[in-house]
Amino acid sequence: MIISPRFPAGPDRSLTGLLDEMSGDVPGGPLAVGDPRMVDFLTAFGRTLLDPALIRRHPELAPLGFFLRRAELDAQLARLAEPGTGSTRVLRFPRGLVFHIPPANVDTIFVYAWALAALTGNRNVVRISPRSGPAAELILERLATALQDAHPAVAATQRMITYDRDDRITEALSAACDLRVVWGGDHSVASVRRAPLGPAARDLTFPDRASFAVVGADGWLAADPAARDQAVVGLYNDSYWFDQAACASPRALYWVGDPTTAAEARTDLFERLAALLAARGELPDPAMAVHKRVAAYGEAAAGRAAALGFAADEALAVLDLADPLAAPRTWLGAGTFPTATVARLADLVPMLGRRDQTLSHFGIPEDELADFAAALAGRGIDRIVPFGAALSFAPLWDGYDLPREFTRLTTLGTVPAQARR
Amino acid sequence: MTADPSTGPSTGPGTDSAGAAEDFVFGRTQAEREEILLPELQQLTEHHRANCAGYDRILGALGIKPGGAGGTIAELPWLPVRLFKHHDLASIPPDEIFKTLTSSGTTGAEVSRIHLDKAAAGDQTRALSRTLQAVLGKQRLPMLMVDTPSVVKDRRSFSARGAGVLGMAGFGRDHTYVLDAEGRPDPEAVRAFLAAHGDAPFLVFGFTFMVWQYLYEVAAEHRLDLSQGILVHSGGWKKLADRAVDNAEFRARFAADTGLTRIHNYYGMVEQIGTVFVEGPDGDALYCPDFADVVVRDPRTWREQPVGTPGVIEVVSTLPKSYPGHVLLTEDLGVVHGIDDGHWPGKRFSVLGRLPRAEARGCSDTYAESAAGPAEAASADPQGEQAA
Repeated sequence: MIISPRFPAGPDRSLTGLLDEMSGDVPGGPLAVGDPRMVDFLTAFGRTLLDPALIRRHPELAPLGFFLRRAELDAQLARLAEPGTGSTRVLRFPRGLVFHIPPANVDTIFVYAWALAALTGNRNVVRISPRSGPAAELILERLATALQDAHPAVAATQRMITYDRDDRITEALSAACDLRVVWGGDHSVASVRRAPLGPAARDLTFPDRASFAVVGADGWLAADPAARDQAVVGLYNDSYWFDQAACASPRALYWVGDPTTAAEARTDLFERLAALLAARGELPDPAMAVHKRVAAYGEAAAGRAAALGFAADEALAVLDLADPLAAPRTWLGAGTFPTATVARLADLVPMLGRRDQTLSHFGIPEDELADFAAALAGRGIDRIVPFGAALSFAPLWDGYDLPREFTRLTTLGTVPAQARR
Repeated sequence: MTADPSTGPSTGPGTDSAGAAEDFVFGRTQAEREEILLPELQQLTEHHRANCAGYDRILGALGIKPGGAGGTIAELPWLPVRLFKHHDLASIPPDEIFKTLTSSGTTGAEVSRIHLDKAAAGDQTRALSRTLQAVLGKQRLPMLMVDTPSVVKDRRSFSARGAGVLGMAGFGRDHTYVLDAEGRPDPEAVRAFLAAHGDAPFLVFGFTFMVWQYLYEVAAEHRLDLSQGILVHSGGWKKLADRAVDNAEFRARFAADTGLTRIHNYYGMVEQIGTVFVEGPDGDALYCPDFADVVVRDPRTWREQPVGTPGVIEVVSTLPKSYPGHVLLTEDLGVVHGIDDGHWPGKRFSVLGRLPRAEARGCSDTYAESAAGPAEAASADPQGEQAA
């Protein structure tokens, strides 16, 4: 069982040796929730990401850098304070060893989950996919830089490794860990779950999710041009950063309003988006351009799309849904927007379910959004966010409060039981 | 590659009664293709719209009115070839399906399904025969198969390679395999074949990388004389790129070391079964048979590229009548070198390679990634270039 250590980087070695090493004593004592040694390291790492040259190439790293500022981390820790009940105190501790299996191609998401698990004092093993992209490499470089000045407890407790699919390695890590964090599709989750966990360990899974965007037609037309352009930039970031394949990227865009107003608003939004794409020189590579045609023609052949439009040198594809409530949840390629108009936001409620994650919105009043959430009643949609925030990672993700998931509670009572009679 | 062994000629090319001149299928200029093929292709578009609901929905969704498709061959609406891997598109009722062909899907899940009725199956066989006769002549020649007999033995687990070998077998006689049943080179068998047939024209068939690895290297080593051979090969250059062998090198080395100079690469795919684009005698490019054409497109605008500018290859053929495959955008890159300026009239072009597979940078593929890794799958696929 040979793995390649990526952080701290080193020659290939056996997993058994690595696990033995991680179970030893931590220099300076075990990590606590919010351990200053770890906070210092995470903030130092975050600073290396807020490098303008790096952000120009990988804009998705900027939010990560901001997320790792000290004030932000302190706010997360403050949220964890437990008031206790009566005379019983509640103490919060790290869960132990956390094994992370992040998505292969969304380069940054694993860093958020790992950082929160590290902030809460856990020992972590993160499997970096052999297929990870260039941003992942840069992240590993910056982690190595930050490690130079970090307390040795960091290197002793945090590991990022790469291995080709090998069930024995996954099994050994699953047996050793206290919490397993599995990102990826339903198939990946099912595949990982074949490896048993220890009796007290548990899974935190992030399976296939789909997300949607909604625009109030009246709200769009009432917004001034600058606000519309800003919304288009937000939609662009939500959709194009990860080739529209992130689970929080919208898979379809809905107009809420009467058909005439919606048609006018729609023309305006897509013209602005096409102009933005042209200005940014956003061009799909030929393989993506072909893929988008395959996917769009397939939706038409199956009768799900009634009209297809292509613009901005293939960077933008717009599909008119034949049945508004039969929205595709599969990936149709970067910059593909199935779209339809509904009279009221509540009309979408019947089509949404557990697998639906994020609703990004523009031009819809807050009380309407709140009524919509109440009507859904938790059956689906974990996040309702404005345009541009779909991909902003939050410690509350997929319905979980991650810092709480990464910790466990010990109660401490001091008043004898009989005295309470 | 068809997985159906019976798509090759059942009687062989020598049985057609028409004379060689009128059967010659590399004779039309580009202007003649526009004049003769365009009306046929427009009719095919309307035929498929009337008989294939999915095709009609696509053209309708693109805003193309019935009867309004394409004033030139390049303006005809195309389908991406991969659509046949996800959708069953046929222009014949299910009870008239005589034969269903599947492509050489390397991942199992992704194979094209091409439906032929009796007439279409006959058409494609005749078209292929006439095309290959242009380089082979009308006689069935003794045939050297650059493969192992095992590849066609087990018909239940028929491989793409096996289908190609069997499909071509009908163009020759007295077949001899260059590899033995265990896949080891069998120079003695080749020597015996050459002793019997090597003084007159004979046919050699195989996949490009096998021809290089097992025929060239063995023939060069054993100083075998292949000067009377006519080699027909397909399958792409990807596997030979590691050995720094391209088409020019391939031809030069065969000529210098074995005397083999009559070499014809060809390009075709199961989604346009029966249509193959054949390398001319000069080895300078692939040529289109008279019932076919190519259009190289700019992947940003999909407009036709000028001569000399690479793009995505679209293949056009009047053969597909039972499914809407008469105008297909492939996932191969290519370039048109010239029009009406080569050994044969029409466009002459080269295939430059395959488009990489568009991959989602999504959240939904972590652990399942490697079981049938896309990278391996692509390298095992013979560039989508198919024997018929």
